[in-house]
Amino acid sequence: MITRIVEWIGRLILGPIEELGRGVRILWGGLSNVFIRPFRLRLIIQQMEFIGIQSLPIIVLAGFFTGAVFALQSFRAFSLFGAESMVGGTVGVALTRELGPTLTGLLVAGRAGSAIAAEIGSMRVSEQIDALDAMATDPINYLIKPRLIAAMIVTPMLTAIFDLVGIVGAWAVCVKLLGQSEPAFMVRLLDWVDFDDFAGGIFKGLIFGTIIGTVACYKGFYTKGGARGVGQATTSSVVVASVLILTANYFIAWVLE
Amino acid sequence: MSQRSAPPDDPQAEAEDPVTGEPGAIVYSDVHKAFGDFKVLKGLDLIIPRGKITVIIGRSGTGKSVTMKHVMGLLRCDKGNIWVGKDELTSMGDRRLRKVRDRFGIVFQHAALFDSMNVFDNICFPLREHTRMSNREMKAKVTDLLGLVGLSGTETRMPSELSGGMKKRVGLARALARDPEFLLYDEPTTGLDPILSAAMDELIVTTHKAKPGLTSVIISHDIRAVMHIADKMVMLYEGVVYDEGTPEHFETSDDALIKQFIAGSLIGPMSV
Ligand SMILES: Nc1ncnc2c1ncn2[C@@H]1O[C@H](COP(=O)(O)OP(=O)(O)OP(=O)(O)O)[C@@H](O)[C@H]1O
Ligand SMILES: [Mg+2]
Repeated sequence: MITRIVEWIGRLILGPIEELGRGVRILWGGLSNVFIRPFRLRLIIQQMEFIGIQSLPIIVLAGFFTGAVFALQSFRAFSLFGAESMVGGTVGVALTRELGPTLTGLLVAGRAGSAIAAEIGSMRVSEQIDALDAMATDPINYLIKPRLIAAMIVTPMLTAIFDLVGIVGAWAVCVKLLGQSEPAFMVRLLDWVDFDDFAGGIFKGLIFGTIIGTVACYKGFYTKGGARGVGQATTSSVVVASVLILTANYFIAWVLE
Repeated sequence: MSQRSAPPDDPQAEAEDPVTGEPGAIVYSDVHKAFGDFKVLKGLDLIIPRGKITVIIGRSGTGKSVTMKHVMGLLRCDKGNIWVGKDELTSMGDRRLRKVRDRFGIVFQHAALFDSMNVFDNICFPLREHTRMSNREMKAKVTDLLGLVGLSGTETRMPSELSGGMKKRVGLARALARDPEFLLYDEPTTGLDPILSAAMDELIVTTHKAKPGLTSVIISHDIRAVMHIADKMVMLYEGVVYDEGTPEHFETSDDALIKQFIAGSLIGPMSV
């Protein structure tokens, strides 16, 4: 009985540590391969296109409506004490600092991260990764590196797009729908949102992209047991990446303050 | 892991195969492998003779694929030594292992074609990765190889559009692309109908004869399908070599286990 409890506790502790070890191994493997031949530039660009293009529609859609609804709600609240002019700035700061990077990260994890995990996972269970190894091609260099690097480059870009489209959404609501004057909307926006906010958000995008790429690749790479295993890897890549993004977001905010 | 490498006059590397009298091209010595608590190989001693066709048989799950994956360093053994020619694998780092792998061609149990690429790109993959062949040379090579495996004209098909037997043949063409010294087949006939399976056997023999010096290893539980093309047969059972010899030796064996396996009978020492 006691040994069983000890075993159970041991597994509870060792499980996450093993997972962490694998994640670090994949992250390190991908990064340390950047300057190892072959460079795989074509594959990196292919993956950037895949992650970027695939996520773009949902990023634009989500960005626009996030900005729009945020503007709508805060316009109502601020108009209670005649502070409508603060809406543009408030939305701008919230978007560039928090909502842009976080929502972008979550959406990319759901859209592209899951696809990466599924693809690599099904390559694992159908022995395609063994085949790469057998043909003396390093799967880390061939599969992991391009996806990791692409996610790290594309997620900040998508974050920037989310920010911009979100501000456009807010502008559309305030200026076009609710009849606020253009200068009233713009003055606080330009005043409050400084470059540091924007850059901080982009930096978060980089971190989130790294999380998404690493988690998707390691979940896929260590997939076990047939189609079911691929499904599990896909789901848990989204869950783990999302949790890590939300947690990391808090700690980054804490460090940047 | 200890830094051992076979000196040129190492007795293991020079081991002679008792069945065919040929020198050992691949030698396993006391190889152990476990997955967690589950022991698969329990002291495997095995000699693959150079230039011959060796068939490894055994029940599903006895570790035939595991045995094969060791020889290319796709799996690392817990204990023991494996020699490929004069190279000892267990003491090698990844980089040197990749050099050794380059001398092998492998036809996977389920073909393992890259499903994002068409037949042409699949066969070209090892060429693009490791050679500087021009497109024209590659085209000629692929045409040759597809002709050899009897699939001329399928260059632009995707793996999902091929039958199981065709996939295996494309897998064979891909394995041959780099003119390997060793060719490993994992269950080449399993899942094929009897006629395709006979055609695959013939293809294995033709390929073996077409490439002088090639050492072929076939892993199968479909014993009757591969028996007549073997120079040497090895039976794995419970993680060790149970018996080895010529096909005739197996056919005339009085051993209850072997008899049961060859007959495919439910009655005998092996239970389901
Ligand atoms: N990567 C792995 N992790 C855990 N267990 C494994 C792994 N690879 C193989 N095994 C186990 O080792 C045993 C031998 O597997 P192997 O694939 O070598 O069997 P096999 O003899 O090739 O069978 P088959 O004829 O069905 O292909 C099986 O019980 C399998 O579950
Ligand atoms: Mg097998």
